Order: sequence, then structure tokens, then C-alpha cells
Amino acid sequence: MTDSHADPNTSGQDEAALTSRPRTYLQMVAQRTLSRPGAQVGLMWITLLVIMAVLAPFIANSHPLIFKRVGGDVEFPLFRFLRPIDVLLLIAAGAGVVLWYVPKRIRLPRAMVFIAIVIVAAPMCFWLINPPRKEVLHTYRNAIRDNDVMWIVHTPIAFSPHDRQRDTRGMRNHEPSITYWREGCHLFGTDTNSADVASNMVHGTRIAVSIGFIATGIALVIGVLIGSIMGFFVGWADLMGMRFVEVFAAIPSLLLLLTIAAVIPPEWNAYRLYAMMVAIGVTGWVGYARFTRAEFLKLRNQDFVLAARALGLPLRSILLKHMLPNGVAPVLVEASFGVAGAIISESVLSFLGIGLIDDPSWGKMLSETISGTGGFKWWMAIFPGNAIFLTVFAYILIGESLRDAIDPYVNRN
Amino acid sequence: MAEQTEKPILRIEDLAVTFWSDQGRVRAVNGVNMTLYPRQTLAVVGESGCGKSVTALSTLQLVPTPPGRYETGRIVFDDQDLLNHSDRQMQAIRGNQIAMIFQEPMTSLNPVYSIGEQILEAILLHQKVSRSEAIDIAESALNDVGIGEARRRLSEYPHQMSGGMRQRVMIAMALACRPRLLLADEPTTALDVTIQAQILELLRELQEKRGMSIMLITHDLGVVAENADVVAVMYAGRIVEYGTVDAVFDHPLHPYTRGLFESMPRLGQDKHRLQVIDGQVPNPADLPSGCPFHPRCRDMNDDAKCGTDDPPLLEIQPQHWSACWHAAGYEGAKPTRPDIAYRRAMAT
Repeated sequence: MTDSHADPNTSGQDEAALTSRPRTYLQMVAQRTLSRPGAQVGLMWITLLVIMAVLAPFIANSHPLIFKRVGGDVEFPLFRFLRPIDVLLLIAAGAGVVLWYVPKRIRLPRAMVFIAIVIVAAPMCFWLINPPRKEVLHTYRNAIRDNDVMWIVHTPIAFSPHDRQRDTRGMRNHEPSITYWREGCHLFGTDTNSADVASNMVHGTRIAVSIGFIATGIALVIGVLIGSIMGFFVGWADLMGMRFVEVFAAIPSLLLLLTIAAVIPPEWNAYRLYAMMVAIGVTGWVGYARFTRAEFLKLRNQDFVLAARALGLPLRSILLKHMLPNGVAPVLVEASFGVAGAIISESVLSFLGIGLIDDPSWGKMLSETISGTGGFKWWMAIFPGNAIFLTVFAYILIGESLRDAIDPYVNRN
Repeated sequence: MAEQTEKPILRIEDLAVTFWSDQGRVRAVNGVNMTLYPRQTLAVVGESGCGKSVTALSTLQLVPTPPGRYETGRIVFDDQDLLNHSDRQMQAIRGNQIAMIFQEPMTSLNPVYSIGEQILEAILLHQKVSRSEAIDIAESALNDVGIGEARRRLSEYPHQMSGGMRQRVMIAMALACRPRLLLADEPTTALDVTIQAQILELLRELQEKRGMSIMLITHDLGVVAENADVVAVMYAGRIVEYGTVDAVFDHPLHPYTRGLFESMPRLGQDKHRLQVIDGQVPNPADLPSGCPFHPRCRDMNDDAKCGTDDPPLLEIQPQHWSACWHAAGYEGAKPTRPDIAYRRAMAT
């Protein structure tokens, strides 16, 4: 970290005075952004979504946390049926929180440690955790009906997203209802397949959060790479790069997305989510490339870049260490709008019925408002629709605050 | 002349650099020769745009190509022609053997990193030392340039420092790897006079202590008089006068050099207006025929060759070169390469 070689001999007071004020440009931007109420509200909503995404199986699950039949042993079905991805997310989130709270004076390459933990944990999870293939979700409801249960502790929402409630009659397209009996309570109603809407929405946050971040991440990497090469080398690289950018800018991205989504073969349905992330990423990098190019064109003539070259620093260091951090702020603004755009794109694809097949997604739920049997289902329009709206709105609020934070005219004081 | 057997550290021979612009190829540097010896300060003097900075940048191959191009010439450092080096070979020399400090202290440091981070990067790149050793080197480098509490300063950011401090940090960074040659491109122009004096004092001290050579690029003749051993006066991309500081200051041979001295205010001089050199620096894309200075020259005769032939740089007096048809003794002088090993006695 930045205060790496602070003298251990300096008095604590000096140290505090130095660390308390914003140090680098990016830290200053972060502080200014976070001081704006819009960004705070937006970040709170995103944080809530991330928490829901990580804890989804503990919020909405047909498997109870604790379950004991009459005369049987105490069981923990929820843990037994936890999937590898659920465990991996928990480990990653736990590692993130722990690393965040490690005191600043301990020098740690935090990002690297985090990535290392995830890389080690991922194969372990998929190798060691083998939940039973066969899930009979109405086991517990049947047991309750047969008076076979000593006691049972449910998650707040007692339905998995795939729980089609074949054991219960008349649950298809059920309006929102609140019952004292948790096993019959559908806060946001049910859909055409008799699945609980609230549960689907909780599990849908995973898609909404991950598609936004990963698709934008892919677009950022491509865009920044191409943009920085164009901006630094100018000449032929710039000429060819800009023509490449123009070709991509001329393609209507929604149509390209539709085409890509439509030609994904059915065998790949398990990887459909990743394919969509890549598709949204590779159609959305043009803006980032332009922004990065403009920044690098400005930066390459800066004295400190020439000074870095005169010191004999290698190209990699000049590009990534000296130019990128100085030119990344405007790109980040664009990226926060990009996340919102990626969420919309996923919703559009899912709404049009060529998005995700099996996984719960807000856009897919929205499309069920009018499709299927039972006419117009208002609860399926309002709840997922509002979730999409609020999430996009939150990212736009953050983007606006970020833009104001780097705007010298707004910050004149 | 016993010194003359000594080996120069840097020899620039017939360097020509052109830039591509809207008006076609522009010659920024046109056949420049200079020689620099260990522990010597060579001052390169001239108006803006005369090719001083391009000469220094060429030494490190830092001229942006394109639009720039090295046309002819050799830059010999350690018996190797730097212009033939690949970028990778140059990286090993930049900062390590030859360092450069720039005119603008306010913008020459990366605002994103602490100054310690920036000095350390250069040290760790060029020297095989551990990080903690590098911190010690950085600390002593800051101490050398007169920055107190160096340990604490290492974790400060450029915006927390004044211009003079930043220029010292730049110098510390350039000197941390103990280069043998320092290219100082107007190192004091952006600073106020007291700090200017401190910085120059510092450079002189370090030069004495380490035996480093300095190419001092400036347009401040006062700075030259104080610091330089040898002076090269440049005009329109070529050297018009070359000699020891005493020779050039006491008996300037070229009318341009005389014009520069006359346009300089002098203490105790009772004058209402300073003498100026009439006219403008010629557009390098459209140089006048003959001597590039002739349209502004007061010594020009219509019958002379000034308007038709470009005068080469000739050794008119021993150790004193000039490129002017009218200089006394120009006829019959030898076209030798400028090469002076003179160093002034250190004032202690």
C-alpha cells in the first residue's frame, strides 16, 4: 500500500496527520464520491444486493436449516444440499471482509491474496462438495402434513427458486399473500410454474450483480487495452485501432447480442450465463477504448511520462503504473453506467426469451408477466421490474457522483 | 594540452534530427558536434527552438519517432553509438548511466505515487539491491539534495511539496543511481532565484563529489557564467560558437553571441533600453539561404557570402570555434571537431 515505508520512528501524531488527509488523486476522488448522498444511497443498495447474492441460499430455501422427524435425528438439510458455488461465494465474501479489516499498517498485497484464496478455493469446493443429486423439495411439507415433524426451522423464505410446489394444488399464478404458516406464505406471489417469486428474486440478485460486474469487467479490459495501445503508440496503431473501433461502433449492439444469444447451442446451456457475460462484454468496450485513448493521448505528452522514460523504466511500467492510474477516472465513470447497461441488456435478452434457461433472472420473470397462462400478473411486473429499476438507478447515481467528483468545475473551491 | 589525451565521456558527431510537420521535414538539429569530458559542465545556450533540448533528448533516444527521425550522426558513449542501440539496450543506459532532469518540476513527478515509490522504482530497476537497501539509498539521495527528514518525506506525495522541493526530488531521483552523465534541461528555469542558486550549487557540489559530467541546457547566461566550463551556443539547429567559458564570454566571435550578451541586463549599467537582436528566430521549416542568422545580423555585408553560403564551424583560435564568415581569422581556419577538456578551477 501507499504508506509502505513510513518510518517506524516517526511519532504517531505525524503519522496520523499524514494518513488522515486524502493522498493520491484516486483516493481524493473516492472520498469526494462517497461524500455525495446519491453515491451513498446507490452503494447501500448495491451492498444490500451483494449480501443477498452471497447469502441467497440462507434467505430463500426449501430445505430447512434444522429439521427433526418424530423419533429421528436432528438434520441440517440446508447445509447438506449447499452447492459448490454457494460455498465458494461464502468463502470469497468472508475472505474479502477479513482482508478489508486487516489493519492498514500490515503490508499485504490484498488484491493478490484475495485472488489466490479464490483460485485455491474454487477447485476445492467443486471437488469436495457433492450435494445429493436428488432433491425432493416437498419432503418437508409432506412431513409437516403427516404430523411427522418434531421441529423445523426454515429460512425467511421457505422456497427454493426451483420449488414448483407439485404437492400443493392451486399454487400456480398465486397472488401475493401473507400467511402465518411459513410454508404457505408467498410474499410476492408465485409464477406460472408455481415457483415463489420472492425466492426467485433473491436468487436472481446473483445474476444481476455478476452479469453487471463481469460483463463490464470484460469490456473494460478489452477497451482499456486497445485504447491505451492506440493512445500511447499513436501513428499506425492508432489509425488501425480507431478503424476497428468504428467498425464495432457501427454494429447495433442489441442486434449482435440477439444473434450471439440465439446461436449458443443447446449443449452449452449450462454455460449460457458466461456466454452472455462475454457477449455483453465484447459488444460494450468501444466507449472505454475511446475514453482511454483520449486520456493516454493527453498523458503521453506529460512531463512525468517523459521523465519515467528517461529513468529507463520498461514500457509495461510506464503504461500500467504511470499512465493508467492517472487516466482511469473518466473510464470508471463510464464503467458505472456500463454496469447499469449490462444489467438492462441481460434483462432485455431474458425478456425476449433468449436469455437464461434455468437460472432465476429478473428479466425472465418480467417476461412471464404476460406470457403463459393466467393473463396479466401485476405482481410479476412490479417486483422484478422495480428491482431492475432500483439497481440501474443505483449505478447511475454512483456514476453521476463519480463524474462530479472528477469534474474540476464542480470541485472549484 | 596534457588533458587532451583524456577520454571523453560523450561525443556527439554530426547529429541531425528532423521532424515531420505540416510544412514537410523540419531540421531541428543540423550537424551538431560536441564533446563532454568527465567532471565537466558543458553549457548549451540558445533561444527557444534552437535544438538544445532535442540534442539532449537524442542522447537518450527520447525524441518521439515519429514524428522525429535521426538522420545522420553518432552519439558515442563508452565507445558505443547510442543511436544504434535498441530500445531495450537504451533502457539499461537511461537513468543508470545517463540521467536527465527536466524543466518543469511541477509536472515531472507522477501525482499518483509517493515520491519514495517513484525513487525506489528507479533504484530497484537499475541496482541489484533489496527493498530495504533501496529505501536507504533513496533516503541518502534525498539527504544529498538537501531535503531534511528524508525518511518521512519518502511517503509524501508530489502535491504536498513546493516547486523547489519537487525539483530537488527530481534531481535526487536522477542521481540515486549514480549516473556518469547528467542532462539538465533548464533545471532552474521554473524556480525562483534563491532556489535556483541552491539547486545549481547543489549540482556543482555533487559533480565535484562524484565526478559526474553535466550537460547544462539553459538560456540564462548568468547561470552559464557561474557554472559552465565549456559553452556551446546554438542557433537554428547548429552550433555557431564553441569555446571555454572565459573565451566565449571575453571574446565572443559570433555576432549572435555578442547579441545575446548585449541583450542581457548588467548590474551598474546605466541604460534605458536593452539592446535587442532584431527580427525573429527563423522558422525551421523555412530557413534563410546561406548563414541562418544573416537576416538578423548587424555585421552582414551585402557583398559577402552570408546570404548564399552556410558557414561551417571552424577552429578560429585554439580551443575556440565559430561559424561566421566575418570572424577575424575565419579564412584559413581548420574545420576540426569541437573538443575541449578544460575545467575551471573549483572555487572553494
